[in-house]
Amino acid sequence: MELLIASSSVADAGIGCWDLESGAEQLRYKSCASPPHGLACVGQRFLASSQLREQPSASSGSILYWSWSKVEVKSLPAEPIKPIAANSHGTYIAGGGQSGDIYMWEVASGRLLKKWHAHYRAVTCLVFSQDGSFLISGSEDGCVRIWSLLTVFEECESQRASHLYLHSFTGHTLRITDIVIGYGGVSATIVSASEDRTCKVWSLLKGRLLRNIVFPSVIDAIALDPAEHVFYAGSRDGSIYIAALNAESPSTSSYGMHIIGSLSDHSKAVTCLAYSTGDLLISGSEDGMVRVWDPITHNIVRMFRLAKGPVNNILVVRRPLYLNLGSFSNPHTSSRRHGSQLPPPLDKYVTSADEDVDNKGVIRLPSLYNAPRDASYISHRTIDNHLKELQQQGSSAATEMEVERLKHECNRTLQMVQQWKKMYENLHEFCVNELLDGDQVDGSKRNAV
Amino acid sequence: MARSKAASKKQQKQQQKRGVDFKKIKRKLGRKLPPPKNATNTEVKSKAIVLPEQSVASEKAGLAVSKKGLTLKELLQQTSHHNSKVRRDALMGLKDLFQKYPAELRSHRYAVIEKLRERIGDDDKVVRETLYQLLKTVVFPGCKEDNQGPFVSLMVAYIFNAMTHLAVDVRLMAFKFFDLVVQYYPPSFSLYADKVLQNYEDILRKNQFYLEDKAKLRSALAGLVRCLSLLPCNKRKVDSSEENMAGQKILHAFELDMPAESSGFSSITKKLKDLVPVLVNCFQDFFPSVHHMPLLDAQSFDCMHSILQSIDLVVGFFGYGIHQGKPASQLSYEGPDEAIWDHTISSLLLKKLFGVFPLNPTNHLSEKVDDRFFILNIVITEIFLRCSEWICPPGFLLEKFLQYIENALLGSVRPAVTHGPVKQFGRNIYFFCCLLFQSLCCKWQVIGSLVFFSNCGANHNNGILQAFTKIFEGCNPQSSLKLACLSAIEEMLIPGDDMVYPDASDPLFEYQITWIRALPQLLILLGDKHPSSSQVVLHLLLRLGQCANSSSPFSREYENMQYSLDKFYSSCVDRGDVYYGPFIRLSWDSQELAICGLYYFSNLGPFLLKSIAFCCLCSELEHLVLFRIIEVLHSAFSAGHIQIADYISFFMTLLSRFKVLPENIYPDVESDAKISNRGTFKLLTNTVCSCLSRIGDDSLVFQILEQVIFDQLLLKPPLDNACALLRVLVVLDCKPTRLSEQGIITLSKYLSGYLFEVVHCIPEDDEENSLPTHQQTCCYYMLPCFFLFDRSPKLLKLVLNLMGSLITESSSSPSSHSYTQYGNDNSNQINAVVSALLLMHKDTKVRKIISSFKEEVVHILQIIHSLQWYTIMLDNF
Repeated sequence: MELLIASSSVADAGIGCWDLESGAEQLRYKSCASPPHGLACVGQRFLASSQLREQPSASSGSILYWSWSKVEVKSLPAEPIKPIAANSHGTYIAGGGQSGDIYMWEVASGRLLKKWHAHYRAVTCLVFSQDGSFLISGSEDGCVRIWSLLTVFEECESQRASHLYLHSFTGHTLRITDIVIGYGGVSATIVSASEDRTCKVWSLLKGRLLRNIVFPSVIDAIALDPAEHVFYAGSRDGSIYIAALNAESPSTSSYGMHIIGSLSDHSKAVTCLAYSTGDLLISGSEDGMVRVWDPITHNIVRMFRLAKGPVNNILVVRRPLYLNLGSFSNPHTSSRRHGSQLPPPLDKYVTSADEDVDNKGVIRLPSLYNAPRDASYISHRTIDNHLKELQQQGSSAATEMEVERLKHECNRTLQMVQQWKKMYENLHEFCVNELLDGDQVDGSKRNAV
Repeated sequence: MARSKAASKKQQKQQQKRGVDFKKIKRKLGRKLPPPKNATNTEVKSKAIVLPEQSVASEKAGLAVSKKGLTLKELLQQTSHHNSKVRRDALMGLKDLFQKYPAELRSHRYAVIEKLRERIGDDDKVVRETLYQLLKTVVFPGCKEDNQGPFVSLMVAYIFNAMTHLAVDVRLMAFKFFDLVVQYYPPSFSLYADKVLQNYEDILRKNQFYLEDKAKLRSALAGLVRCLSLLPCNKRKVDSSEENMAGQKILHAFELDMPAESSGFSSITKKLKDLVPVLVNCFQDFFPSVHHMPLLDAQSFDCMHSILQSIDLVVGFFGYGIHQGKPASQLSYEGPDEAIWDHTISSLLLKKLFGVFPLNPTNHLSEKVDDRFFILNIVITEIFLRCSEWICPPGFLLEKFLQYIENALLGSVRPAVTHGPVKQFGRNIYFFCCLLFQSLCCKWQVIGSLVFFSNCGANHNNGILQAFTKIFEGCNPQSSLKLACLSAIEEMLIPGDDMVYPDASDPLFEYQITWIRALPQLLILLGDKHPSSSQVVLHLLLRLGQCANSSSPFSREYENMQYSLDKFYSSCVDRGDVYYGPFIRLSWDSQELAICGLYYFSNLGPFLLKSIAFCCLCSELEHLVLFRIIEVLHSAFSAGHIQIADYISFFMTLLSRFKVLPENIYPDVESDAKISNRGTFKLLTNTVCSCLSRIGDDSLVFQILEQVIFDQLLLKPPLDNACALLRVLVVLDCKPTRLSEQGIITLSKYLSGYLFEVVHCIPEDDEENSLPTHQQTCCYYMLPCFFLFDRSPKLLKLVLNLMGSLITESSSSPSSHSYTQYGNDNSNQINAVVSALLLMHKDTKVRKIISSFKEEVVHILQIIHSLQWYTIMLDNF
């Protein structure tokens, strides 16, 4: 059960959502104009999308949240954000700014955790590695950089090292259009596409270029085959090229070195690509169509119409089970029910340390993927309350114990007092007796003398 | 014989007489005892002894032999002969043999090396020398392709043995052998680094004894330099070697464990640390010879140079280790400075090496000596710069070095450099200076210029920068010195990892601006004769553009560069006379770099666009480059770097000015690709159309374009260009036309002429043999008109009316041909109209529309008819 989500840069087309199996349209959110790489599914819970500015005079673009039931939360970052990305658990959202800064928000609290200067020019795409430990960013200046989140967030490390990034690849000469990362954690393969007509394959572990593939046209989108034998590159001339990742391709290929073949239906430029687990390749085109391909037979299986304008993003997500068709037919009730589900808007600035004590988020990792519809966050405050309660409870018990102890002590002291008194009395008696006896002796002596 | 027998008998008798007690048995000399009776005869007797292969000739017939006729086996045996001359001869023989029969070496190489290695520690000097020659010239080159690991390991044990030999000569020679091994099999150093360095240390410790034998020491030290240069010391070099790996065919291939590239080197840090003091001491031992001898002879110079180079390399390695630690900061690196960099070393260097700087000749005798001192000083300076990062040198020292660098750059150290026979050498010195300057720049990056400037007076820096700028400006654009300067400039211009730009108050900034301004000029000066230099400049420009965002102080400089770059593309000398810059003739790589650089102008103005457009129109330009330019410009436009008006006028210029060759359309369509560039132009039209339609709101773009296109059309461009312009119009238009009322009228006037022209240019054959290609050609030119007619029937009506009136007009006043130059003749005119109507009629869609304008067509036919009647009447007269 997979859902296909596509967004366009044309505002009235917005976001479309289809069932990949049946082809039935499920949802459509209007008034969302997202730039390329500006749509992310946050932890399978809701969608986040950065927005193109309506007019250039507007001071900044916004980021919108869309829950499955049409509730939106709007946040206004400090500068226009185009690419956004969320890690697989939906804990963080990263956004790339026009000035080359990368912003990192915590979803649950909306807090801006960190902002750092990453590139000389605007960030064009952001990708999290599969395990969420690396962030890969591409920029308009043709630079691809890999950030280890550990290094980025650890203060002392970032101060000591001369640079924050793990690797910086400067092989491309023009804007980076897309980046994908394969499986394999730290030894994953990264493929980047650029407007200089090349795709480059990098090794994350070694931090070096493995392969350079020159295409006949500019590549705007890439998708990785799950087995990582090939990758698909959607080009501006309308075809999707298949490039080899491991096999040695015959040099006689008509397209160029390492390019095995192509999928084409002579449409307009391909703008985005995605690969579904059901072995389907999904492409979005500039003419507003979403095409679903069978990569083996090179045939189009399905076509969806999104908009007149270009399709900018395609996501394939597993369908949340609680999302039944009923909720679509009656969006209002569900919106009322789940209205509070969305996290607060994202902060504009990094808050200073003493201020943010209150709004830390504690994230409960989703134990079961499809489990509760209220699988949201427990705010840090709740935990604080818990702690306070615990402390309070603890202290009352302690005082009780203290009282007990004091009582006990009191008893003991009283006993002691009694004892001392007794002793004193005994002594006194003894002394008096002695004195009396002495007097008697003295008197008898004197008498004797 | 008989007599002697008798005599002996007598003697026997005499002895017997002498006494029984001391019986003396006397044996007869020269006579055998008779065999005992029971003896067995062990002799074997035969008639003839047959020795197989007695003959020399037959034995060696199939075998490889040396000049002296000895086989490999014999020669190998002889190498361990006790006579040194025989050994030497054997080695010579082997050399001989292998040169003649290389296959012999390949098949027996292990056997050969097992035998030869015994001779490494040979007592005889000549034998060792011969062996060295043999290995160097024959054995190693011959075994190069094979797996050399085991081969080398066989030898190395003996080499180490020889390194600890008692005889000094043997020891020094052993280093030479090791050098040879490293030359042919570089990983062997990292494998045995520990032992080798230990041996070097030992031998250098006792160098006083060997000072006499400087030639030997020199070769040994050269070997050390070679070994140490294998240490990773320069990050960039490592990177560039990796870049080359990108071409490898298999991506996820199993990788051989290269013998301890990284782990091996980390373990020898301690050994290297021990080596440095020894090297420094060794260097000091040469001092007396420097000061007391009038001339610094070549051998001691070489020794000193090698020693300094070794120190330099070791220090570089330490620096590399420290830098390596940084990116992998997650790993434990508790104070790498302390771990790698020892304070004893730094104090040692300070005291013994930097203290004596600069070395000065006692008396200026010859330039050669001066040069030698200069080189030594340069290397010391390099060492100083390398380690100044960690040792925080005292101010006066820094001052001293900076002074020296400045002087060196200015050339005041060696005033004689600029003229005379040593000019070539002088240039090398400049080259050194630039390298030095480059490493200085690296240091600036590392320390941060502020710290650096506060440490030493700004006047020196200014001086250095000034001197450098002078060299940069003064040197020949083609020279390698310029390249060195450029790489130094790149180091200085591109902000490092911390991405901190210099601010305007920094004295450096002023010079940076000067350098940036010089770059376009340099590019134009280089022309197309020095592609590699041009490529370097273009690459630098691209890098500059990449980091010149609005917050960078260079952004304005980069922007302004477009006014000086136009000559690189093309420039208009006179009206219509275009001078093409070097861009067109550069290689594809350089062109690509130049084009990419265009993207980074934040406001690409009409000035440069015009120049590029002329370039695009040049017929010499590869059409691939043309499309690449359009692609990049489109990217730049969508990133907001080009104004829409400039962008559109760029395309209009392309479409209206492109010269399609050959001009007449029809001769042959098949030869399209070969001779004519019509195919290219068609592609260009398509590309431009798709770019324009991608701009955004079509109706707005249409409004902008409408008037521009009409203006162009009224200038009567050639048919192809007109067709392209019409196509653009069609692409942006939609079904109910967007054309304005006025536009329709203007267009109708033009279109009637256009139709005539199309029909005229494509002479129609007979109906029967009209080829499909011909129809296609017609279609190509007519199609935009058809689309326009389809969208606006009114246009068609107007055009039909005009056609009709044209005929009457031309008939009434034959001399005036207002719209078409072809219609001189009435009949021509009529022909054209008819064939145009026929063409329209052929297209089903247009036929439908035209059917709704029956009266106009009928009107035209009437006119024609009346004219015909009129002419017939005339003829009758």
